[in-house]
Amino acid sequence: MELPRTTPELVAEPVARAAQAAATRPWRPQSSGLRWLMLGPAMLVILATVIYPLVSSFITSFRDWRLINSPTPGPFVGVSNYTRAFTDAGFLNSLGVSALYTLISVTLTLLTGLAIALILAKPTRLNVFARTLLIFPFAVAPILKGYSWRFMLNPEYGVYAKMLGEVFPPLKGYVWLGHEFSALVSIAMSEIWGWAPLFALMFIGALGSIPTETTEAAKMDGATSFQIFRRITLPLLAPVIYIVALLKIISAFKMFDQVAIMTGGGPGDSTQTLYYFVYQVAFRNLDLGYASAVSYLLVAIMAVIATFYVRTLMKGD
Amino acid sequence: MQGSMRRPPEPGVILRRRLAQTGEVIATLAVIFFVAFPLVWMILAAFKNQIDVYSTRLFFTPIFTNFRAIFADPILLGSHVWVSALVSFLTVAITIPLAAAASYVLSRHRFRGRDTLFLLILITQFVPAVVVAIPFFTLFRTLNLIDTPWALIIVYLSFTLPYAIWMLRGFFDALPVEIEEASFIDGCNELQTLRHVTLPLVMPGLLVAAVFAFISAWNEFFFALILTRSNSLTLPVAIQTISGPRGPMWEQVAAAGMLVMVPILIMSLFIRKYFVEGITVGAVK
Repeated sequence: MELPRTTPELVAEPVARAAQAAATRPWRPQSSGLRWLMLGPAMLVILATVIYPLVSSFITSFRDWRLINSPTPGPFVGVSNYTRAFTDAGFLNSLGVSALYTLISVTLTLLTGLAIALILAKPTRLNVFARTLLIFPFAVAPILKGYSWRFMLNPEYGVYAKMLGEVFPPLKGYVWLGHEFSALVSIAMSEIWGWAPLFALMFIGALGSIPTETTEAAKMDGATSFQIFRRITLPLLAPVIYIVALLKIISAFKMFDQVAIMTGGGPGDSTQTLYYFVYQVAFRNLDLGYASAVSYLLVAIMAVIATFYVRTLMKGD
Repeated sequence: MQGSMRRPPEPGVILRRRLAQTGEVIATLAVIFFVAFPLVWMILAAFKNQIDVYSTRLFFTPIFTNFRAIFADPILLGSHVWVSALVSFLTVAITIPLAAAASYVLSRHRFRGRDTLFLLILITQFVPAVVVAIPFFTLFRTLNLIDTPWALIIVYLSFTLPYAIWMLRGFFDALPVEIEEASFIDGCNELQTLRHVTLPLVMPGLLVAAVFAFISAWNEFFFALILTRSNSLTLPVAIQTISGPRGPMWEQVAAAGMLVMVPILIMSLFIRKYFVEGITVGAVK
């Protein structure tokens, strides 16, 4: 992935001057005292705010610590918090919900993002205007995404629910957040709205790097637009799609805000994602030992995805 | 190509081209609708009265009482706007100088373990917030920091700082070293060079990192939900209190939502050029 670059005009003139200087005597001081003085504060903060809690909750995950019984940590209980998870219907359900949610939201977000990118690929004036709008949804706070979709999907007064009812009469008065599967899809919708436009922007960037001669030549040879898409566009987009899918999988496993706002995990426990489950165990039931163990299972999942992500990122360097 | 330029195309071809163009415009309009409509509908709701908000009619007489209502009621948003602003500004104010110093060193200095350190900072961004939240919850309980802005600022640093370091290193790396070498030859030491040459050149980067840190603190919900009770609720959590017997009072939720949304949308426009790159660095959190 490309990191932000400074504008050419900003560096062009100094570069010319510098090139001249470098030719005469390349030299730069490296004070190791200054190095640690500048690196130190940031490292201390990261140590205190990331490493400390990670270690601390890892230790807690081997303890029996219910905050309702005692304000101080209870005894060590070995791996029993971990083994408990795999016989706990609540945990297994949340694992399934998260997996299903990830599958739905990742697939639909990618497809929607790709569709938007292809529609806006041509740089007409209208398309360029539409591209500007694409940065907005992602910047909207997740809880507001949740609120706006809950509002618009309400069967009595929701504008989207009504529109869908007009187009597909069987859906008239359908309670989107009241049924197991459609509640999960509704949460996914709020996320698709937030992320697909952003993905579209990344795809448009990648589409711009495809030389037009390639597609023109293919067209001359009689290729249909589907063949061009399948054989030229898609393979060239593949690296971007891959990295974007990883980002989306990570965010899907961390789904919390919209669940809290839209369904509270219901109906039943059908939208209780892994994240929401840990939240319930830790901050509702105050069962900190078990919650820490389950949160470490989440860390394990993250570690697998992170490995793929980091490997791709390092290869790009 | 040239043949078709000389001879006018057959009517069928023109018609098909027209149809294709119309199709493209309609598709673009559909995208605009998909992206903008939820925002527009929410913003419109903020100017509706209680009856209009439950109707799906497009036209209504706008009112401004919702904004007055959410500020008039002391337990609603009045004070929480300031908590949100304080928490976000202080988070940015601590993050940026620390991140700038650290990322400068990580970009410019060569020393053993540098790449490992850098990789570790990236990996911290994959740590789920809930893991961090559990120990901080008990720690802040003992320290009596629950329901204070400080608790939030401390935990927000856990994601804004690694993220800003990553992002700023990208900006430092993009800057040719030769510029600084020229300054050394002119007789400046490293700190002088940093202050007069390097930092001014990465100013756009500092701004972008600051905006991203601000957005993530301002929009944050999970930690704010756990670590606050009543006094230091931030806007995203305080919005939940706007509910009546029939669930959320949508006209006021929408008005409060605008307070949360509009500053962020304006900031996003300022850093539009860097938006996508910024997310790829940081969206993992």
